[in-house]
Amino acid sequence: MVDAFLAVLQRPNFLTVVIIFVWGFYIMVTRYNLVKKLIGMYLIQTSVIFFLVSISAKKGATVPILLSTTEPVKSTIYANPLPHVMTLTAIVVGVATLGVGLALCAAIYKKYGSLDEEEIIKKLE
Amino acid sequence: MSHQLPAILFLLPLFAAISMPVVCLKHRHWSHPISVATLAVMVLGSILNLHNVINYGEVRYVFSGWTVPFGIEWVADGLASIILVLLSSLGFLGVVFTGPTSPKALGGRIVHYYILILLLLSALTGIVLARDLFNLFVFMEVAAISSYALIGVAGGRALFAAFRYLIFGNLGAFLYLLGVSYLYAVTGTLNMTDMVDRLPFLLSSKALVGGLLFMFIGLGIKMALVPFHAWMPEAYAHAPESTSPILASLVTKVALLAWIRIIYWVLTASDALLQGLVGFYDIPILRLIAVLGSLAAVIGAALALAQQNIKMMFAYGGISHIGIILIGIGQGNQTGFVGGVFYLLNDAVMQAALFYLAGIAFCHYGVRKIDDIGRIGKQSLWITGSFIILALGMIGLPPTGGFFGKWNIILGALEAGNYFSVAAVLLSTLLTLAYFVKLLEGIFRQTSTKLDVQFGEIPFSFKLTLGVTSAAILLLGLFSAPIVQLLLDQALPPRF
Repeated sequence: MVDAFLAVLQRPNFLTVVIIFVWGFYIMVTRYNLVKKLIGMYLIQTSVIFFLVSISAKKGATVPILLSTTEPVKSTIYANPLPHVMTLTAIVVGVATLGVGLALCAAIYKKYGSLDEEEIIKKLE
Repeated sequence: MSHQLPAILFLLPLFAAISMPVVCLKHRHWSHPISVATLAVMVLGSILNLHNVINYGEVRYVFSGWTVPFGIEWVADGLASIILVLLSSLGFLGVVFTGPTSPKALGGRIVHYYILILLLLSALTGIVLARDLFNLFVFMEVAAISSYALIGVAGGRALFAAFRYLIFGNLGAFLYLLGVSYLYAVTGTLNMTDMVDRLPFLLSSKALVGGLLFMFIGLGIKMALVPFHAWMPEAYAHAPESTSPILASLVTKVALLAWIRIIYWVLTASDALLQGLVGFYDIPILRLIAVLGSLAAVIGAALALAQQNIKMMFAYGGISHIGIILIGIGQGNQTGFVGGVFYLLNDAVMQAALFYLAGIAFCHYGVRKIDDIGRIGKQSLWITGSFIILALGMIGLPPTGGFFGKWNIILGALEAGNYFSVAAVLLSTLLTLAYFVKLLEGIFRQTSTKLDVQFGEIPFSFKLTLGVTSAAILLLGLFSAPIVQLLLDQALPPRF
C-alpha cells in the first residue's frame, strides 16, 4: 500500500491528471449551473490532453527534423511528433464542442431566462 | 478508380457540405435537391464498392502515400462495405424525408441544417472505414458535434436535451481518447493492424486493461448502453421530426460497430488472446459483453413499456435492440456474430421506419402521445400497413428480418451454452410484444378525442420512405439466407 502510494508520488504528472479529471467530473455532476457544467467538461478535456503531453515529453529532445541525412537516426534526441499532433487535434475538438455547448447555453438562457438546471426542469413541467 | 472509392464515398458528402453555403447563397431551396442528389450518388457508389469488395477482396486505402504504421489507413472490408450501403441508403431516405418535415422556424438557416446532415453522414462513413484509433475519435466527434446541433435545432425542450447529450457525449469521447492514449503509451502505435502484432507481449500490462476499460466506457456512452443511456431517449424524442430517423438508426449503431472493430479486429485477432477467447487477467471480455447486452435488452424494453410519448418509447426500444445485438456479438462464435451483425442491419432499418412513422404521426396528424394515436386509425393504408409490418419486425415474427436475426443470435447462444442470453432475448421479445400491443390497441381503438378534420393525402416522400423501409424489412427477411451467407463469407473477423 505504502509502496503504491510512493510509486504514485514518483509520477506527479499522472497524479495531476487524475486530480484534474476527477475534479472536472465532480463539478459536472454536482453543479446545477449549465456554464459550470461546461467548465467541468473543459477540465476533463484538459486533463486528457495533459496526459497526452505527459507521456510524450522527453528531456533534451529536439524538433523531429533530421539534422543530417547521412548519419544513422538516433530516436532518443527527437521528440515524438505523433502525441503532439493528437494533442492539437484534441484541443480543436474540445474547443468546437465547447463552442456548441455555449451556443446551446445561450439559446437555453434566451428561452427560459435561467441557466440553473433545477429551474429549467421546473419550467419544462 | 475503384481503389479510390472509399475515400470518394467519404469526400462526396463532405464536399457537398462545404460547397453548400456558396452554391445556395442566393437559392436556399436548392439545398434539398443538392443533398438528395449527393446522397443518391453515394448510394450508387457504396453499392459499387460492395460489388468490388465481394469480387476483388478488401480495399486498403493509405492516405497521401504514407506507409501503414506511420500513415492513416482505411480499410473497406466486407463488413464496412455492407454497413456503408446501409448508411448511405438510410441517409438518402432521411434527407428525402427531411423535405416536407424540416423545422419551419429555420427559414434561411435551412441550408446549415442540410450541411449538418451531410457532415454527420460523412463522419459516420469515416468511422466505418477508419482503421486508426485516433482517426476514429476525430470522426466520432465530428458526428457527435453535428448531432448536438441537429438536435438543438428544434428549440424548446430539445435545447436542454441536446445540452445533456453534449455533456454525456463529450465525457464519453474524452474517456475514449484517454483509453487510446493509454494504448498508445504501451504499444506505440495507433493503427489497428499494427497493434495486433504488439498486443501478445503486453498481456500482463495493467495500462492495457485500464485503457480498454476507458475506451469501452466511452464508446458505451456513445452507443447508449444501459447504464449510460440517460441522454438518448430525451435527445431523440425531442429532436426535430426529420432528424431523429437518421440519428436513431445510424449514430448509436456506428458506435457499436466501432466497438465490434476494437474487440474482434484488435483484441481477439492476436494469437495469444484467441485462446478460449479469454482476455487479460482471465477477464472474459465476451462473456461480459453478453451480460451487458442482456441487461440492456431487458431493461430497455421494460422502460419502453412505461412510456407515454411515442418517440420516447421507440428510443427505449432502440436501447433494448442495441442490447440484443451485443448478445449476438458476445457469444464468440460465427453464428452469434453473424446474427448480431444481421440484426444490426435490421435494427437500423426498423429504427428509421419507427421514427418516420412517429414523424408523420406528429407532422401530419399532430400525434405525440399514445392516447391520441387512434386519430391515425383508418386514415391511411400506407401508415397502418407499414406499421403492421414494422410491428412484426420489431417483435420478430417469421416473414421479417427481425426474426432471422434473433433466430441466429439464439442459435449462437445455444451453441455457446449461454442459456442466460437466450432467456434475455426471449424476455426482451415478450416485452417488445407488450409495448407494441399497447400501440396497436391505441391505433385500432375508437378514441374519444377523435377530430373531425379531414387530414388529406400524405405527401409522396412520406409514402416513399415508408414503402422503402417496409419493403426492406420484408426483403431482409425473405432473402435472409443469402444475406447471412454473404456475411459469413465476407464480414467475419480475422481468425474466427
